Amino acid sequence: MATEARKKEILKGLYDGVVEFDEDKVVELSNAVLAEDVDAYEAIMDGLAAGMEHVGDLYANQEYFVPEVLMCSDALYAGLDILRPHLSGKEADVRGQVVIGTVEGDVHDIGKNLVKMMFDVAGFEVHDLGRDVKLEKFVEEQMKTDSEIVALSALMTTSMLAMPKVIEMIKARNPDAMIMVGGAPISQEVADNYGADGYAQNAANAVQEAIQMVSRLREMGKA
Amino acid sequence: MDRVGGICKDKMAPHERVGALMMGQTPDRVPFNPFAMGFSSLNCGYTIESFYNDPQKSLNAQLWTAEQYGYEPVLLLGYAAYGGWEFGGEIKMPTSEWEGAPSVARHPVETEEDVEKLELPDVKTAGIIPISMEFSKLCDEMGLPILPGTSGDAITVASNITDVSLFCRWLMKKPELAHRLLRLATDHILEAYQYWVDTFGAQKIMAGLYVTVAANQILSPKQFEEFVLPYQYELHEKILGMGVQAGFMHICGEQNLNLPLIQQLPLGSPQQPVILSFGHEVDLEKAAEMFPDNIIAGNVEPQIIQNGTPEQVYEVTRIAIEKGKKAPGGFFLMPGCELPPMAPGYNIHTMMKAVNDFGFYD
Repeated sequence: MATEARKKEILKGLYDGVVEFDEDKVVELSNAVLAEDVDAYEAIMDGLAAGMEHVGDLYANQEYFVPEVLMCSDALYAGLDILRPHLSGKEADVRGQVVIGTVEGDVHDIGKNLVKMMFDVAGFEVHDLGRDVKLEKFVEEQMKTDSEIVALSALMTTSMLAMPKVIEMIKARNPDAMIMVGGAPISQEVADNYGADGYAQNAANAVQEAIQMVSRLREMGKA
Repeated sequence: MDRVGGICKDKMAPHERVGALMMGQTPDRVPFNPFAMGFSSLNCGYTIESFYNDPQKSLNAQLWTAEQYGYEPVLLLGYAAYGGWEFGGEIKMPTSEWEGAPSVARHPVETEEDVEKLELPDVKTAGIIPISMEFSKLCDEMGLPILPGTSGDAITVASNITDVSLFCRWLMKKPELAHRLLRLATDHILEAYQYWVDTFGAQKIMAGLYVTVAANQILSPKQFEEFVLPYQYELHEKILGMGVQAGFMHICGEQNLNLPLIQQLPLGSPQQPVILSFGHEVDLEKAAEMFPDNIIAGNVEPQIIQNGTPEQVYEVTRIAIEKGKKAPGGFFLMPGCELPPMAPGYNIHTMMKAVNDFGFYD
């Protein structure tokens, strides 16, 4: 059993490992979490996720760019792969389910993958449909998984036009499903016009928005 | 030269207006080109796909749409996904309702070993080049300037040869692989330009120089300095050195942090003007201040042209014109990037209306 000081050291190391995209360090410390009986949930939330949150700030402040964030993401997943199987009981419960994908006609998936990563680390069960996803597939997957949230991404002005269509299709089958949209040409105004329930300006606030949406659903007794 | 309806106060024909701008003279009004590619095809009853695979339809669509709205034609048959198909991968033409341009369906490089094996393609048969060359021949027959369809953007070609996420990881972990792709991309672009120069003569050619993946939404200025600047410098120096008549450089997206580095590139001269086209993320007054010797172009936000009301489009166009008109090197009104193919036609008319209302020089 690790002392409090050692636990802090490990959590700080995981945080730094993600921020400094030091995959080896994250793997070593994640193994230490298991060997020294540190709580895996704490290690994920206060180490890896906290580090990734800081990475989000660094990106927003133009200190980190996509190559750095991708490397941080690799480090994060290296830790998650080791720690997640060791979550137990309530901690392993998912916060919600999300279907995510880049809409039909669009092959750009960097942004979608970063949002997916944030959902992963925040404890959501993620059903990733990939890129250039047929609109019907979003509807089918939402129905099949009964996910509370569908997250749609588009980088192109052409493919963004598919969003109102797919929102309409999903709502027609399940009016309770919450739809979130994001991507370079999307703004809050566009999201509102398209009938989306949420808008994610970036990966970090995608998760905040999703958590709020799931809370709203649960308050309404629908989730 | 008043048009029917009396809304047009033009004193120059489109080619005279662009000619004056390129010669450093003040035209009657701000020239306008909406970067209409797929939009032109749909506007003329063609498919978007035909813009990229049928040179005659592509030419017709661009000329007819320019004539319809009264803007200055700048003709191009090229695409941003250039490199994937040309180096041996596969391209997906835009055929579905939601696609606006070709995209790479299979990258020629998927592993580190693929990088080592990759060779320069035959410049006369690679990917879209035969189609684009045919298009250039049609332009030449009509006496129009020739903008080669080959990319002039090494980093974007390199990140189309492989997946952009993998390429970004190589910038960090295996820079030697990224440099090899950039070297091949640069050499290919230079070979392609030489092919165009040999076919038409340098003086008929306007060089297309772009920096797309270099945008700060993706890369840092430090990465720009290491992975973009040296190759782009070489491209500018050698392509302009071939004696082309002019250049058009599209600086796509958020590039504010890169502007001091772009200032270091060879950017033409009064005898060989280079138009610098900016996205809506770069303020036109700042662009004009930093590049006083160049013609500044831009930068109406494409998303607003597609989704905005005519009132919003008119207002953002007015702002762009009023800022751009102050550029000491001259100004060419354009969107910040390609016109969305599904943009409402009335919004292009609205932009033209703003040009007529605010674009005339005293």
